[in-house]
Amino acid sequence: MKAIHQRASEGLPTRAAGWRARPGAFAAAAAGMKSTTMLLLFAGLVWSQSRYDLLLKQGHVIDPANRIDGVMDIAVAGGKIARVAANIPAGEARKVIDAQGLYVTPGLIDLHAHVFGYSGSLNPDDSALPAGTTTIVDAGGAGWRTFEEMLEGVIRPSKTRVLSLINIVGHGMTGQAFEDNVADMDSEKTAAKIIERRAHIVGIKTAHFGGYGWAAIDRAVAAGNLAKVPVMVDDKIFTLTGRTSKEKVLSKLRPGDMHTHVFNDRQLEVVDRYSGKVQPYVLEARARGVLFDLGHGGGSFLWPVAAKAMAQGFYPDTISTDLHSSSIMMAESDMPNCISKMLNLGMPLQGAILRSTVNPAKAIGRYPEMGTLSEGQIADIAVFRLKTGVFAFKDAWQHKDLGTQKLESVLTVRAGDLVFDMEGRGFPEWDKAGKYEVIR
Amino acid sequence: MMPIGAQEIYDLLLKNGHVIDPKNGRNERLDIAISKGRVAKVAKGIPAAHSRRVVDASDYYVTPGLIDIHGHFGADGVNPDHNSLRSGVTTAVDAGSATATTFGSFKTTVIDHSKTRVLAFVNGDPGPLAAKYPEIVVGVWGAAAGKMPALGDSLAGLRAGDILTNIYSQAEPPLAEARKKGVLLDTGQFWFRVAIPALKRGLLPDTISTGMDKTTLLLPRATMTNVMSKFMAMGLTLEQVLERTTIGPAKAIRRPDLGSITVGGMADLAVLELRTGKLAFLDSGHAKLTAGKELRCVLTVRNGAVVWDSEGLSLTHWRDAGPYSNFK
Repeated sequence: MKAIHQRASEGLPTRAAGWRARPGAFAAAAAGMKSTTMLLLFAGLVWSQSRYDLLLKQGHVIDPANRIDGVMDIAVAGGKIARVAANIPAGEARKVIDAQGLYVTPGLIDLHAHVFGYSGSLNPDDSALPAGTTTIVDAGGAGWRTFEEMLEGVIRPSKTRVLSLINIVGHGMTGQAFEDNVADMDSEKTAAKIIERRAHIVGIKTAHFGGYGWAAIDRAVAAGNLAKVPVMVDDKIFTLTGRTSKEKVLSKLRPGDMHTHVFNDRQLEVVDRYSGKVQPYVLEARARGVLFDLGHGGGSFLWPVAAKAMAQGFYPDTISTDLHSSSIMMAESDMPNCISKMLNLGMPLQGAILRSTVNPAKAIGRYPEMGTLSEGQIADIAVFRLKTGVFAFKDAWQHKDLGTQKLESVLTVRAGDLVFDMEGRGFPEWDKAGKYEVIR
Repeated sequence: MMPIGAQEIYDLLLKNGHVIDPKNGRNERLDIAISKGRVAKVAKGIPAAHSRRVVDASDYYVTPGLIDIHGHFGADGVNPDHNSLRSGVTTAVDAGSATATTFGSFKTTVIDHSKTRVLAFVNGDPGPLAAKYPEIVVGVWGAAAGKMPALGDSLAGLRAGDILTNIYSQAEPPLAEARKKGVLLDTGQFWFRVAIPALKRGLLPDTISTGMDKTTLLLPRATMTNVMSKFMAMGLTLEQVLERTTIGPAKAIRRPDLGSITVGGMADLAVLELRTGKLAFLDSGHAKLTAGKELRCVLTVRNGAVVWDSEGLSLTHWRDAGPYSNFK
């Protein structure tokens, strides 16, 4: 079921950096222009000596695609990974970052988040990049009627790579009345929009459908067949809908389709609530290629379900946040937090990185273009510290568990640019910085 | 009405935290009891048994909910709950995203959607909005117009009682002149390269704000606790920093009901941890200051409810909550 995708356009918009244009700022900017030009000319002479723009030195690299799990240097040039090797001389790079004691991974891919359409949507850059997430997949915010608005309003202006699982509902995730309206679930029009915008749309989402029967899932799958893309499902299984999770994952979803909210208890019943055992039909669905996505969110990560499933070795295929304005608060469901929860429930760090990079990239047909640190690929890199101590983690019911490991985002590189640097590792001290320049 | 002599039952009790409340002159270990969204009692030794939920705040400072008078929360800005509440800010003031014409949509999409109390400096003359929404519109962005305070980044056009922001930016506004004129000084976006020499000359800010937007939240990481940590690293005391993020901004926006822990008042509180370690911060121009201490917000109470709790201080362990209990 592998879709043939056009290569995503990687052109990032040029942004007025550092300073918001507002009354008063223009005069200052004009005054600084001359010296900036001079500095750039001078700097150009110095930097022309450097082969690389950026060098991350001595970090513990976890790059599952290339079977790297050890201390390595990573050099970046022209926005791409230029070299991954044991010892790259610091003198060859304009900017050198000491990553000793830290983990360096491919930029994370959050397969399920909300940055458009939905009332709880967040802004991709300030929610993703500080968390080490360089690719965010908006899960169903836009439908075929509203996708162009998302493209202009969110995808193009964002530094984060934003992709879309387009909603089978033409109006997108705009409220229950819209989401239950089968008449607005048009497989042909949805597929046509996907084919028109393959660079940005990677699949289809059906969400929150509360009506009777299988129309929402059937039409999403039909659109998926037309456009050759996967479907992500989140769907209520209350009895009045006439649907069961067993039928859903065994006969409705195709291999490569994804069920999100895996550790929920009312959209999918991974664990039998009486016996505490992982349901045999879930294992059967996994064997036939249906993917199970974390999709933490504000209601879908529950300790009683997650702890029991994980203890039986049933791990999600992909780790995602279902990040929105509520899940980011008490449950704190950003990618490092979701990964930390997985670690404390027994998943090894390497496995958690695999499920946050390679696996989501494969799920949306973008592997190996994304999710790796392979030479020649776009340089999306995350740097983390794995802290040890006693930490509290909170589920969607606002109950806590205590764990001894916590992953903390330290630095993020997106398309070769240092976009987040919690400890200023890539920048000079203030008294050696020159007075009026914004340091790049 | 409770019968005389009856003991009130509290919804939330913050026990044994180091309370710093500049307006009420508090700077000691105290218990704070909350009932029905209001501060019910501030005293030593309030019995834990009198509250439905108890937070042990022994390791932390407890302060009034912080006030950030310069942020950008409009369509092209950032999410206030995500970036403000999580760093102890319970009142965030938008600096000019909305004009008199666009205020309506700003109100429905941002203000009404946020748990954070979002107030606004309206861009340009607010017209009848000021009278219609006196509890939201606190002033004017840009230059002074009418009687309300103005927030601007150019001294020209500001009067005594107005607020000059971005005071330590590379534009270097004339701070001594502004202070002489009675204009309040607000940090907003700032550079260590400008701030450190200015602080040495005694030009301290009247209010500390973040100036947060999509850009400053990335490399400069300008959340409130981050900016407070930066000012502590530049030599201000914790008390000085808290004065400038609670009662200082409350006065500047003329909202005496905000910025303190007062019995009968709205229960907006921040619980802060002062961590030590080898740290460094970046400014708006991406220069670095190395530091040894950092403030972090571990818990935020807004309108009496716990809305942020990074250490799970107020929460039950799931094994004690029943396997399928959905009761909070």
